[in-house]
Amino acid sequence: MQILLVGVSHRTAPIDIRERLDFSSRGLDQALHELMARRIGREAVVLSTCNRAEIYVACDSAERTKRELGAFISDFHEVPPAALTPHLYDKVDAEAVQHLFRVAAGLDSLVVGEPQILGQVKDAFSVAGDQGAAGPLLTRLFHSSFVVGKRVRAETALAEGAVSVSYAAVSLAKKIFGRLQGRRVLVVGAGEMGKLTAVHLKAQGIEEIVITSRTLAHAEALAAEIPESQPVPWERLSDELARADIVVSATGAPRPILDRARIAEATGAGRRRPLFIIDIALPRDVDPAAGDIAQVFLYNIDDLQAIVQENLSRRSSEVTSANTIVDEEVEKFAAWVRARSAVPTVVALRQRFEAIRQSELQRLEPKLAGLSPDARARVDEITRLLVEKLLIRPTEQLKALPDSDTMTLYADAVTRLFDLNDEEAVHAGRRYRARRGERQAAGHDTEHDGE
Amino acid sequence: MNIVPLVLYVGALVAYVLHFARRDPAVGRAATTLLVAGALTHTFVIGMQTVQSGHIPVAGATPAISTFVWLLALAYLYTEMTTDERAMGVFILPLIVGLQVIPAVHPGVEDRAAVLQSPWFGVHVSSLLFGYASLALGCVIGLTYVLLFKEIKAKHLGVFYARLPSLQVLDVMNRRAIVVGWIFLTVGIIVGGIWAEQARIIDPHDPRVQAMSLADPKILVALISWAVYSFEMVAMRLAGWRGRRTAWLSIIGFAIVLFNLVPISLFLTRSHNF
Repeated sequence: MQILLVGVSHRTAPIDIRERLDFSSRGLDQALHELMARRIGREAVVLSTCNRAEIYVACDSAERTKRELGAFISDFHEVPPAALTPHLYDKVDAEAVQHLFRVAAGLDSLVVGEPQILGQVKDAFSVAGDQGAAGPLLTRLFHSSFVVGKRVRAETALAEGAVSVSYAAVSLAKKIFGRLQGRRVLVVGAGEMGKLTAVHLKAQGIEEIVITSRTLAHAEALAAEIPESQPVPWERLSDELARADIVVSATGAPRPILDRARIAEATGAGRRRPLFIIDIALPRDVDPAAGDIAQVFLYNIDDLQAIVQENLSRRSSEVTSANTIVDEEVEKFAAWVRARSAVPTVVALRQRFEAIRQSELQRLEPKLAGLSPDARARVDEITRLLVEKLLIRPTEQLKALPDSDTMTLYADAVTRLFDLNDEEAVHAGRRYRARRGERQAAGHDTEHDGE
Repeated sequence: MNIVPLVLYVGALVAYVLHFARRDPAVGRAATTLLVAGALTHTFVIGMQTVQSGHIPVAGATPAISTFVWLLALAYLYTEMTTDERAMGVFILPLIVGLQVIPAVHPGVEDRAAVLQSPWFGVHVSSLLFGYASLALGCVIGLTYVLLFKEIKAKHLGVFYARLPSLQVLDVMNRRAIVVGWIFLTVGIIVGGIWAEQARIIDPHDPRVQAMSLADPKILVALISWAVYSFEMVAMRLAGWRGRRTAWLSIIGFAIVLFNLVPISLFLTRSHNF
């Protein structure tokens, strides 16, 4: 069986195409149902995020299934094949495996190392599992991809550090205050930037948000948009500074509105808590000299951007070690697939040996008839162990072959040497055992069977 | 015998440094395992010495240091397991290793003088050593607080930013360590005073008992360190001191304790050289 991947991602398709190919809009289960109804591949998993839409299938012929999948995607999303084909990529076997592992590791993401993708891969797999679309091959493949995702996160710094300005601000706040629950945020300025940051902080667990603006009506309008926030008049700015833990300043003022003296006063006598000021206004709202005050951490938009840049460059330096992990796991998976491909040969070989054993026992039946039930059971046991012992080494060797070409070669050789294609010989033993089973069930025979 | 725990502590130190540098979770687990092994063998050593001499090895500077190291290792392990933070190990282990060298090089339980038979003496030393272990943790936590504070303030987010818990968490941990340490320090000093009075009755001619006064460096420096921690307690409770100031007080306080525990105990004191 082959593993085939067909899909589009942010690397190959513009946003309008990706939007049209979003499987989650109509439900992954719907897509999986249709795939199964059309009998495309034997197993399937559909991965759909805002940056990619990919279908992984286990199939007998990658060439044929590739065409079927192209047609399926085009039909399912009602996108003409001509518009779709240029953006579509396909990968087979090792390449498909490597691709999925890179995706799970966050190496193929728009922002390298972004954390959500592993969860999305897990969700995609669990939907396929629920629908009965994921069989043993894809189950193993996706489980291996989770291992890759976990290893990359644990062993490299690929996913570390904030890579957006607002996330950088939040992670700084967390490093200063620990949990953000119970902290008070003062938003100065009622513009779009202030709103965005306030919403972001709210999502991180901040409960108390107060908003002030030179025009109270603007503060009130913004407070109405953010639940549980309250507007305060501009005159109370100093009081609110003293009460706040985090200040987000984002006014359109041409000159600094929070000078050092004002902040020093707010953080003066009696205050021991740190004050984290995020100045995202341009031009700046806060006098840079305020950063000298003992309890004040002052970050402006450039500082935050510098952190983001540094994190991004650190992430890219981790790509090599993440790729090494991907390659290791691809090799492990390939070894598992090879061992698995040896199974039919091994099974046939065992059946062959068992058939010989059974037919010999049958041939000797008249001579064995005089033995006590115990002795007969012993004979059965000894012959069985003999066959087992003879088979152990060849089985191990077959499963450990280094590549699939050698595997085919050996499988052919074994098949030919033991004439494994001769169905009659292989199944003769099975029929014999079935007969004996019937006799035992009927109570005619008290001997122990070694099976 | 103190050499075996020392070797394990050195191994743990190396592992904690590697873990801090590379942040490989497997190395981190190895570090903790080595430290646990060190603390267990140390428990065995101290247990053997207790059986051998019939009392906990706290009389004399080197056994006291060994016991202190043991308590510190246990206290640190407790913090690590309750907070799930391993980054502090890299600061604690040098102290553990450095101090454990002394009993490893200069071992043995010295004979216990008659005045040390009193149960007050056992309480005095155990209480102080436990207090010191807690204060040592406070010192290290304070140190990490100051380092992290500086990084965030300077906007150069580096090694400590990526590895340490938040300032808030460090601050709470520091305050807890100081409260526990201060309580045991206070109890130890009071019990020491009571014991010294009794010793004057039991053996008034012992020159060491005669030297028990504020003029003795060991007693004087112990009281100075107590004063520093008492100030810190008052500042935290009444003036609401937090963060950097309490962190610095914890660092200074333990520097004094360490000075008292090693050079003064080994070379300068005339009253505590049992």
